Amino acid sequence: MSGSTIKVIIGPQHPALKEPERFILETEGEYVVDVKVRIGYIHRGIEKAMENRTYLQGLYLSERVCGICSDAHTTCYVQGVEELLGVEPPPRSRFIRVVVAELERIHSHLLWLGIAAHEIGFDTLFMYVWRDREIVMDLLEIVSGNRVHYATNTIGGVRRDLNDEKIHKILKGLKTLEDRAKEYLKMIQKEQTVLKRTVNVGILSKSDAIKYGAVGPTVRASGVKRDVRADDPYAAYDEIPFNVIVEDGCDCLARIMVRSREVLESIHIIREALKRMPGGEIRVRVKPRIPPAEALSRVEAPRGELLYYIRSNGTDKPERCKIRTPTLANIPSLCKMLVGGYIADVPIVLAGIDPCFACMDRVLVIDREKREAKVWTLDMLRRYGREWYRKR
Amino acid sequence: MSKEEEILEKIKEKFGNKVKDMTIKRSRRIFAETDMKNLKEILRYAKDELGFDHISTITGRDLGEELELIYHIAYQNAIELSIKTKIPKENPRITTIVDLYPSAGIYEREVHDLLGVVFEGNPDLSPLLLPDNWPKGVYPLRKDVTLEEIRELIEKGGEKG
Amino acid sequence: MVSEALSFILQLLIFPGFLFIICLAFFSEWVLRKFVARIQNRMGPTYTGSGGILQPFADFIKLLGKEDIVPAFAERTYFTLTPLLCLTLPLTALFILPMTGHRALISFEGDLIFLAFIFTTLTIMVFLGGFLSGSVFSMVGGVRAATQLLGYEIPFLLALFGPAIPASSLSISKISTWQAQNNAWGLWTQPIGFGVLVICLLAELELLPFDIPEAETEIVAGWNVEFTGRRLALVRLGRDVELVLASTILADLYLGGPQQVWIIPPIIIFLAKMFACLLLIGYLKTLFARFRIDQVLSGMWKYVIPAAMIQFIILKLIW
Repeated sequence: MSGSTIKVIIGPQHPALKEPERFILETEGEYVVDVKVRIGYIHRGIEKAMENRTYLQGLYLSERVCGICSDAHTTCYVQGVEELLGVEPPPRSRFIRVVVAELERIHSHLLWLGIAAHEIGFDTLFMYVWRDREIVMDLLEIVSGNRVHYATNTIGGVRRDLNDEKIHKILKGLKTLEDRAKEYLKMIQKEQTVLKRTVNVGILSKSDAIKYGAVGPTVRASGVKRDVRADDPYAAYDEIPFNVIVEDGCDCLARIMVRSREVLESIHIIREALKRMPGGEIRVRVKPRIPPAEALSRVEAPRGELLYYIRSNGTDKPERCKIRTPTLANIPSLCKMLVGGYIADVPIVLAGIDPCFACMDRVLVIDREKREAKVWTLDMLRRYGREWYRKR
Repeated sequence: MSKEEEILEKIKEKFGNKVKDMTIKRSRRIFAETDMKNLKEILRYAKDELGFDHISTITGRDLGEELELIYHIAYQNAIELSIKTKIPKENPRITTIVDLYPSAGIYEREVHDLLGVVFEGNPDLSPLLLPDNWPKGVYPLRKDVTLEEIRELIEKGGEKG
Repeated sequence: MVSEALSFILQLLIFPGFLFIICLAFFSEWVLRKFVARIQNRMGPTYTGSGGILQPFADFIKLLGKEDIVPAFAERTYFTLTPLLCLTLPLTALFILPMTGHRALISFEGDLIFLAFIFTTLTIMVFLGGFLSGSVFSMVGGVRAATQLLGYEIPFLLALFGPAIPASSLSISKISTWQAQNNAWGLWTQPIGFGVLVICLLAELELLPFDIPEAETEIVAGWNVEFTGRRLALVRLGRDVELVLASTILADLYLGGPQQVWIIPPIIIFLAKMFACLLLIGYLKTLFARFRIDQVLSGMWKYVIPAAMIQFIILKLIW
């Protein structure tokens, strides 16, 4: 058999991959018979870096693990640290966390839907979806002041409060989003070319999904009801009723459907959260030093279960901070999905797990700061920032 | 009796004092510690009898003299059981659990890369995260490797240069 | 005699020859890009010229100045020949299609067959160019182009020769004149044939949903992945000319071609028809997702070829 297979190498540079990663496909004709994954092209060594930084600095590092699900990472990190400290964040902050997390989920799912459409060559849908993603990006800017790294969470609560004007704007934006999302959902189910490319493509059966440890929308598209928000409620999810979206298709269409329907569900969650939001403080003050303890924190990121294991040692720096991102958990099932499929289906199957390679690779320290022409210490940066603001 | 306590009781009954320090840290979080040789038995029992069918990850930690591995397994994705085990740093070898949890392979590769633990029986322990020309014997997550050392290695561009 | 020859050369070089066609090609690319962009709720080119009208030309000039690389594994002859033929073949084909009046620049009985020949040669050149550029992606792209040809060639030829039956001539000029004079546009007399031809032209032009040979997300740029610099510029210009060619074929064979209406000169009528066809192609391009190669083949053999045959039989029964 070794004589008849051809190695097709996808990546590290390939238009279907938005980030550098390498997939070596063994193919027989148009069929894929084996897959090998080589990750690690974008290590930044965040785990090691966290051990050498204070808890508060670690918060900013964790935000930068991923550009898309940055809020999920900080939520997870902050919850772990709060558990170590034994601090309960105020109720209002927990609801604000839910609002930002769900807005982020909408943003991430829409981004993914656009990319999936692009992978099957449906550029019109791609453009439309990304146009509407702007609405949710604007909403996130209203809530947090930023479009990408929201920096909403802090240890002991959140940093920015919501007022009536913001809430009104969010509700208005959500209405438009809801109409559009419903439209796309209807269109995807009807458009023949989309169905042709996604039905029965990249099959991951229910038992395989469990066996290979898939998480998030990938496992839910295989008919397994697993969602950290419902199973292991954090923030204010235990006070908000919502449905866990499950599809039985086990194929790429099911993955598209799960995510499209989750957009609608997220809109519902945000509305409920805004309705039920209590008043009061948004954060409590915490001590920088944390007594020796360990905590395991889990969050349902847009891509699935995100896990932080943090261990403190009595200083202001963590002893160990382990991050397990959903994409890494989905890699074994991805290999399973690719085997036996067509080469032409590789991009959409790859996109099917919504891979986020920057999240996945994070462990090694690459500190390029020293090579740059300007080496800025923290103090210099602080001074520069102060001056810059004075000038304004 | 809550579900966590039930699971705790069952494991205690089955394994007795092979499992140490079994605690419920908070709802849905159980931590336990065991010996290297009993680990697989407990994992098998947890998977087959108690329904812990999902492995979240394997955390590796440098304790100085020893390395600690923490296997985080989940029960219906809700109760997270973390089983710790210690292995000597001099000869960090442990049997693989790929046959129990196929998805554990990738986590074992990660731990192998960063802490140098050899998982006996894992079919593929090639570098996952580190570059191909990373020098052998340097495990970046061990405490004796400093940031400066790593930085120097990267400046040099690995073994082959 | 001399003035006649001079006028022919002028016609060949300037209007409606090279210069006109190339300007038309650039303009068509702009129209298509702008149209598709507006459908997709984007701006399209805006920067160069008014409304970005000079953008295709600017792209062409920019590519001419880029580095020219021949891959070590590439077959040099074919690698050079393919871009050239990609441009010259559709250009030649446009000379036999009437644009300004009843007669094309070059017209003879049987030029329809010549047109069919050019289209097939073009695809074979694409296959050879892709296959011999020495890259996995271009190889897959070239093979896909050839495989796709197996699907669409038969219906394409059937739809191409359909209009020849009522006009009882194999000359494109005569066919379009006949249609214009008898007010019997192919679109009305043989609508199925028109649909089949549009589908096959989309496949020939490698536009969505048939852009399989150059599917960006699957095989990077397919058969033209290795072309750089002026070779790529020629390939791209060739694509634009092919776009003009496709819409001209539709306008001439199915819409009566250039005809005098009231006092409007034929060229204006022709351009209106041509751009209508171009916009139709652009509109279809935005509507679909890409098919897989096996789906194209089975779809073509299951639906498009029978449709083309039925159209042919109906034609034979009527005329």
